[in-house]
Amino acid sequence: MKRRPIAEVMLALGGLITTAAFFMAFLWAPATVYPDGRINFSQKIFYFHVPVAEASFLVFFFTAFYGVRFLMTKDRRYDVMARVATEVTLFFVLLTMATGILWTRVEWGVWWQWEPRLTTYFIMTLLVIGYFVLRNSVEDDEKRATYAAAFGILAFIDAPISFFITRWVESIHPVVLAGGESSGLEPPMLITFIIAQVGMLMLGYAFYQMRLREEELHERLEALKISIGG
Amino acid sequence: MEGAGRDTALEVRDLSRAFGVRKALDGVSLEVPSGAFLSIFGPNGAGKTTLVKVLTTLLNPTSGAASVCGLDVVAEAVALRHRIGLISHNPLLYPDLTAEENLLFFADLYGVQDAEERARELLEAVELDHRRLDLTRTFSRGMLQRLSIARALLHRPDVLFLDEPYSGLDPHAMDILDHLIAQIRGEHTFVMISHDLDKGLQLCSHALILASGRVVLYEERDALDEAAFKETYRATVGMGVA
Amino acid sequence: MDGLAWRQFKAILRKDIVMELRTREMVTSMGLYAILTMVVYQVALSEAGASLDVRLVMPGLIWVAFIFMSLLGLNRSFVHEKDQGCIEALLLAPIDRPVIFFSKFTGNLLFLLVVEVLSLPVFSFLFLQEQQGIANPVWMVGLVLLGASIGISGVGTLLATISVNTSGRDIMLAVLFVPLMYPLLRAAVGATFAAVIGGPASAALFWGWMAWVAAFDVIMLLVAFALYEFVIGA
Repeated sequence: MKRRPIAEVMLALGGLITTAAFFMAFLWAPATVYPDGRINFSQKIFYFHVPVAEASFLVFFFTAFYGVRFLMTKDRRYDVMARVATEVTLFFVLLTMATGILWTRVEWGVWWQWEPRLTTYFIMTLLVIGYFVLRNSVEDDEKRATYAAAFGILAFIDAPISFFITRWVESIHPVVLAGGESSGLEPPMLITFIIAQVGMLMLGYAFYQMRLREEELHERLEALKISIGG
Repeated sequence: MEGAGRDTALEVRDLSRAFGVRKALDGVSLEVPSGAFLSIFGPNGAGKTTLVKVLTTLLNPTSGAASVCGLDVVAEAVALRHRIGLISHNPLLYPDLTAEENLLFFADLYGVQDAEERARELLEAVELDHRRLDLTRTFSRGMLQRLSIARALLHRPDVLFLDEPYSGLDPHAMDILDHLIAQIRGEHTFVMISHDLDKGLQLCSHALILASGRVVLYEERDALDEAAFKETYRATVGMGVA
Repeated sequence: MDGLAWRQFKAILRKDIVMELRTREMVTSMGLYAILTMVVYQVALSEAGASLDVRLVMPGLIWVAFIFMSLLGLNRSFVHEKDQGCIEALLLAPIDRPVIFFSKFTGNLLFLLVVEVLSLPVFSFLFLQEQQGIANPVWMVGLVLLGASIGISGVGTLLATISVNTSGRDIMLAVLFVPLMYPLLRAAVGATFAAVIGGPASAALFWGWMAWVAAFDVIMLLVAFALYEFVIGA
């Protein structure tokens, strides 16, 4: 109950910070250039695409984490938390896909390429969608929660395996954060990126908390209805 | 749990079972002596099935405790399962196995020692020995129910749970079931869920009415005023509908 | 107690085999499905003509057939437990839940392998006859079949237990199963390809992919095993 205002603060802050990062990306961070000297404008999407993608993985972790908590305690609140976390995951996953597709269109000249990271991400999108399809097709509350927890855990373990297996054969997706020479981020770029990432995580947290509160209010309403009815 | 000696078959203490805000059982307490026949009545959604599922270890309680034959439903679930049997309105038999194969299969699950002998003995008792090599998909509803009694008795359980065993039976099959229950009555404790008030009252030694997960009435059959009991039952059923 | 668990394991497995031999539900439907897929492949590849080297696509197409075929079998394997409420009788028995998992898993693996082993020669008879056939020893293909089928049956047994309790059973299993199977499928196709095509580097490639198959099997089987108790009791 006490943590409540944090969600609003995070939302405002996160919004501010990501907006700031957006301007920084275009006005401050130096543009990269192609080998032939043309300015690589499409690279700017990196400041949005990568933070969103990483936020999606992080939030998906909570689907599995609360899934485990639920199975251990059978406490319905954890099921609600896992579901809300998955909702936020879905939001980020769709954003990642959308921004990624824009980028591949510009850079590679195609909307879609069966390239390791895209493939993995496509699989992860299907898993997250599958999670909700599963939830919608189970009648009983407790069964639904248990199955969703089990599937959420399996899906979260499966996603990294798909990631690594697709990289085992050659990848053409840029490896940005691997360090070493290829990463070559200048300090202003790195700072902009980090700010964007922090803002995105704050937004993710805010979305999660606010959705969760909505669910709790809904729950209390149900409880009131029952107490009036009985 | 200290007082739960040999002669208490079921002991339920402040048992609740809830998921979120919905409470299927809400502080149920009762004690049933060994050898009793408990009939559980109540409207749909009163918690009858949930109570039986908790007592048969299929569901865990949210709070409170319950024990059957002195064994806790959570901590000693596996040992408890050896001591109970269930006869449901569903036969719980595999239609593509023969009557005998079905019994031998369940005998294996329970680790029954003299499986073949026990199966034959029970098939005779439920008068199905002439059909023992037939697939149960060819059986009538009444025959299935008889075989399901044999299945439930295989491992010589102390407590038998009956979940509306009479539903869907023709009068002849009901007679046979009556007869079978009368035969084994002395050797077991019975817990029966029933929608049929007269049938339930006729068989029981203890009667329980549940509504909205709570005990409305729990009395011994002998101390029971039948008219008042039926009145209470109608009131709760009416409540359940509203 | 261990003796009892073993007896229970054998009882469930034997029951599933007896019922399968009697009804032939799973093996027949899976086998027919495999044959129908081959017909569809023939149609799908018919315009590609002589320019297409069938050997390059067959290792992949085999797994398309097998993955969808296994969906069919897995669905069946729990329908008869569910329809008469038998699953309740299983849960009521003094049986450790993992025993149910392992016996159902073993049964599913067995039926899947039977159909795979029967349909593979037909595949190569119809599609690889004019080619050189399989370059590397056949046991390598067998090893992929075994490894991938273990993963398919393990995760599949868990997911089928879930999907049998949902509305729209068949489609639900596919929606959950296919994306989860992606890594295994990728590795199985890689290994099969290496075995069929051969060449100097194929052995290293084959064992690399097989390591992935093994890793997937171990991880997913452990997770499925750990989750099973919760899922079947729900």
